[in-house]
Amino acid sequence: MVEVGDMLVGYATDENIRSRGASGGLVTAVLAAALEKGLVENVVVMKHINEFEAVPIITDDVEEVLASTGSLHSVPVNLAKYAMGRKVAMPAKPCDAQAVIEQGKRGMIDLDNTYVVGLNCGGSMHPVTTKKMLIEMYDIDPEDVVGEDIEKGKLIFKTKNGEEKAIAIDELEEAGFGRRESCRFCTLKIPVNADLACGNWGVIGDLAGSATFCQVMNEKGAKLLGNAIDAGRIEVQPASDKAIAIRAKVNSVMEDLGNTLEKEIFPDIPDEERMQYYMEQMEDCIDCGACKEVCPVCACGDDAKCTMFHSLVDNYKMSMYHMVRLLHLSDSCIGCGQCSDVCPSDIPITLLQSRFAIPSQRRRDYKPGMNLDTPPFFEVMLK
Amino acid sequence: MTEEEWTPKIVAFCCNWCSYGGADTAGMGRFQQPASTRVIRVMCSGRIDPLHVFNAFLEGADAVLVTGCHIGDCHYVNGNEKTQVKYEFLEEMLLQLGLEPDRLHLNWISASEGERFANFINDVTAKVKELGPSPLKPAGVR
Repeated sequence: MVEVGDMLVGYATDENIRSRGASGGLVTAVLAAALEKGLVENVVVMKHINEFEAVPIITDDVEEVLASTGSLHSVPVNLAKYAMGRKVAMPAKPCDAQAVIEQGKRGMIDLDNTYVVGLNCGGSMHPVTTKKMLIEMYDIDPEDVVGEDIEKGKLIFKTKNGEEKAIAIDELEEAGFGRRESCRFCTLKIPVNADLACGNWGVIGDLAGSATFCQVMNEKGAKLLGNAIDAGRIEVQPASDKAIAIRAKVNSVMEDLGNTLEKEIFPDIPDEERMQYYMEQMEDCIDCGACKEVCPVCACGDDAKCTMFHSLVDNYKMSMYHMVRLLHLSDSCIGCGQCSDVCPSDIPITLLQSRFAIPSQRRRDYKPGMNLDTPPFFEVMLK
Repeated sequence: MTEEEWTPKIVAFCCNWCSYGGADTAGMGRFQQPASTRVIRVMCSGRIDPLHVFNAFLEGADAVLVTGCHIGDCHYVNGNEKTQVKYEFLEEMLLQLGLEPDRLHLNWISASEGERFANFINDVTAKVKELGPSPLKPAGVR
């Protein structure tokens, strides 16, 4: 039986799923088994449209789960809000899992009935930037791309006629492409806050590329994985010490990189220039409210305090809407980057937000979305 | 238009039971204080939403004072403790935004501390006078 804390390497028993899904199809098989056995009513998966586009769907059809897309690095959507009010299982990047827990703390998601299969994430890319990068750096027509992969710090694109081209991610980021800024300073690469932490880091030997490393994080995770084994969907074996060490090493390298880049991304601005900086950044805001709409930790709904100040008459020198949000999210912002992605005026909202949230959270030795032990600060102290 | 000496505009949020009484006592005791404050009475300092503070700054306040009863004396048991939590986050946020720390103050003043209220207003007015108009003041507002 599966127990909490187990480190396993596993893959789907069905040859078809195993070859189609990324890294052995374990996650797909676990989600399908959860649906088949009635552990959940729905599964949230991404429906493949092309290499740069996928839409989240909530489905109760096993076939649709099996047909879902594998990992796509250029579709950085946060799935947390799709779990609201449903009994679901869902795949999740570390930031999706953080958002699910934050929503759970605020009573918007029933965590007992939500199963989160976490996936290792080294960062995602904006689809528009990716397309531009393909033309400028790779000299490939975006339409010709059929697959992508990240291996040993290199981003690889495969084209229709079987060619592969790899460029180091560092090089891409220096040229202004590559991962989204919010992913560069992120230090949560293994989703230890999810129910299961899966990924291809630490899969070595014969299994490399066709199996998934899986750590059982809690009771729910054990139930989910046990269910898939009982259903005959997956096979698992304990991970070797070497595999565990390799996974930990990859993680620490990524974390160090995140910490180094954080200093580059957030240069100190002297006290007297900061106000000017924020004003200049926000003056392009057209008050569309998209950043609030996509925010995965926002649990205020339509009658939120910030949206009451959308009108330009309230914004004399600085947007009141943003001021409210900067304060309100200082204890809950997970830095997922959704707001920057959707901003029609290209305001780097995540970076602005993080300048407030990161110091505020560090001062309190608190990281949002990790567990339920530390509820939102306002709530704890206001009791 | 004649050039007068610029006096800062200070918005003081006072709770009904303590600091508003304190302001009253300051007047009755004839403690001298500059006419730079606009007092806004709220039932409890816990009612003061950070939003009110933002709005005061955006509409042209040079400084905002949040005042209430001493901790433990709240008329509503723990309203001022709630103020304190909110104020902590608010202060951090406004400092990060680049506002000078002297433009925002939290002070506990009881109804009998008229002199303390007057001294507080004097101090803040002097400090803000040195700083000059707030960077958030809209154009055309004095």
